[in-house]
Amino acid sequence: MFILCMVIVGASAFIIQPEEQTVAVRNCQFRGKHFKKYFRVEEEPVVLRCPHEESWLWTSPHTNIMWHKNDSGRIIPGEDTRMWVQDRALWILPALQRDSGTYVCTIRNASYCDEMSIELRVFENIKASLPFISYLQILTLSTSGLLVCPELSKFTRNKTDLNIQWYKDSTPLDQDNEKFLSLRGTTRLFIHNVSVEDAGYYSCGMTFSHNGTQYNVTRNINVRVNKKEEEPIPVIVSHHQTILASLGSKLTIPCKVFLGVGKKSTSIVWWTANDTNIDSAYPSGRVTEGPDKEYSENNENYIEVPLVFDPVAREDLNTDFKCSVTNKKIFRTLRTRVKEASTFSWEIALAPLSLVFLVFGGICMHRWCKHRTEKAYGLTMIKTDHEDF
Amino acid sequence: MAVSLVSPWPQDGDLQVSLSYLISLVLFLFHSEAAGSPTRGRFNQMETFKIWDVNQKLFYLSNKQLVAGYLQAPNAKLEEKIKVKYTESHDDMFLGIHKKQLWLACVKSGDKVTLQLEEVNITDLGRNKEKAKRFTFHRSHNGTTSSFESAANPGWFLCTESEGDGPVSLTNKPRDVTKVTQFYFQVVA
Repeated sequence: MFILCMVIVGASAFIIQPEEQTVAVRNCQFRGKHFKKYFRVEEEPVVLRCPHEESWLWTSPHTNIMWHKNDSGRIIPGEDTRMWVQDRALWILPALQRDSGTYVCTIRNASYCDEMSIELRVFENIKASLPFISYLQILTLSTSGLLVCPELSKFTRNKTDLNIQWYKDSTPLDQDNEKFLSLRGTTRLFIHNVSVEDAGYYSCGMTFSHNGTQYNVTRNINVRVNKKEEEPIPVIVSHHQTILASLGSKLTIPCKVFLGVGKKSTSIVWWTANDTNIDSAYPSGRVTEGPDKEYSENNENYIEVPLVFDPVAREDLNTDFKCSVTNKKIFRTLRTRVKEASTFSWEIALAPLSLVFLVFGGICMHRWCKHRTEKAYGLTMIKTDHEDF
Repeated sequence: MAVSLVSPWPQDGDLQVSLSYLISLVLFLFHSEAAGSPTRGRFNQMETFKIWDVNQKLFYLSNKQLVAGYLQAPNAKLEEKIKVKYTESHDDMFLGIHKKQLWLACVKSGDKVTLQLEEVNITDLGRNKEKAKRFTFHRSHNGTTSSFESAANPGWFLCTESEGDGPVSLTNKPRDVTKVTQFYFQVVA
């Protein structure tokens, strides 16, 4: 009976196995939507890359790539001669507004099937479409910079005479003057000494030929001009080199830094003990960086970062404390040492000593004066005696 | 002559000096008593930067990998900004993905150094200099742009591919025309 059961189970396993495999192949695993959406204009060529990332898929033999449009289920290549698959990518030439939608790339071999989708929106080639189709690029005021005509690699490949045309607000740029320079053979435009007026919408493009027909490929760029980051130079205002403190007492050493005028500074201020961060040097928390105090005086920005000893210990007398400030370009530091405020100091000792001297001096003077008076009295007596003589 | 012998005035001057020392000492000690409670310093704060290469490519994540490419306005929300934490040696830094616990690490395997995103607690890591080294970058300024060199692998720089949607990686040939190693790096207000 047991043997019979085993034979039945074994046989059914054999029957089920190939069926499961067909199901797996038929039901593709959907890997999700590509994170980037593509926005293009009508009457231009569009190329969508199959979004699967894993490179082993591409190198494995007998891999089959299929594209279809999600809403219509239309398989590509199909009846529409405007669409075909070339080097795994979907070509639409020229694209029409009705081509907008989700496209699914299916990749399969005998044991594997994966799907990923990608979204395309085709806009009318008018000014109102600019905010949706433009790429944002940034230039910096009073410097030189580059604009790049993006995502053209599928059209520029194997092209030796690449010539990109550049426009600002639909007007062709005089590309060979001192201001703009279209770098030949590349997709880049060099802009010399950027001014505020250089901000705005640019378009760039090239021509692409297919089966004897020429098509325009354009890209739109929204150029923003950023102010040059002028980092104020921080200055450490505190000028303490040696601080007197008594062992066992609490001590705070402030580090005051001038951060510049107006603009918020990116400078950072911190303390170190023998070149180690305070947090790491004193895990017990005996010495800590106190709370920062940031404030403005007449539009001048200051920060104060105190170093708090609670309490001062003997080891602090041999520690090299530094207050440092950096704005990532400039680094400034101030060394500070803690010195024991001795219980016996010459200044304190001199106070009673000078009092003793004062009293002693007073007595001496008193005695000297008295002596002189007596002497003078004697002389007068003699003189008088003499007169009497 | 007698007057110069017993004059008390020079000693009185010393007394004034010592008294002023005493007063300043008392005032100083009083001041330290009035200090506030300790907290972490400004050193521990993180800053957020917008990064883009000289070819205008922005950073974004694709399949948990950092890539650089061009983004149209409706895709702009994909852009990843970089958070910076400074190391104890003040001019080196850790680079992370803003709003995520992902930090850029340079991992050496054979002759190559690859860039990895690792989920770590950078504050804890910062205390261990050896472990933190592969996360450490040295920023060099070149006019308005910056380059980022791996501290653990001198000569290896953060780079992007010259074409869009390629991975952000590391190169030891910064002059290679297919790689871009110069970045704009601006603090986000």
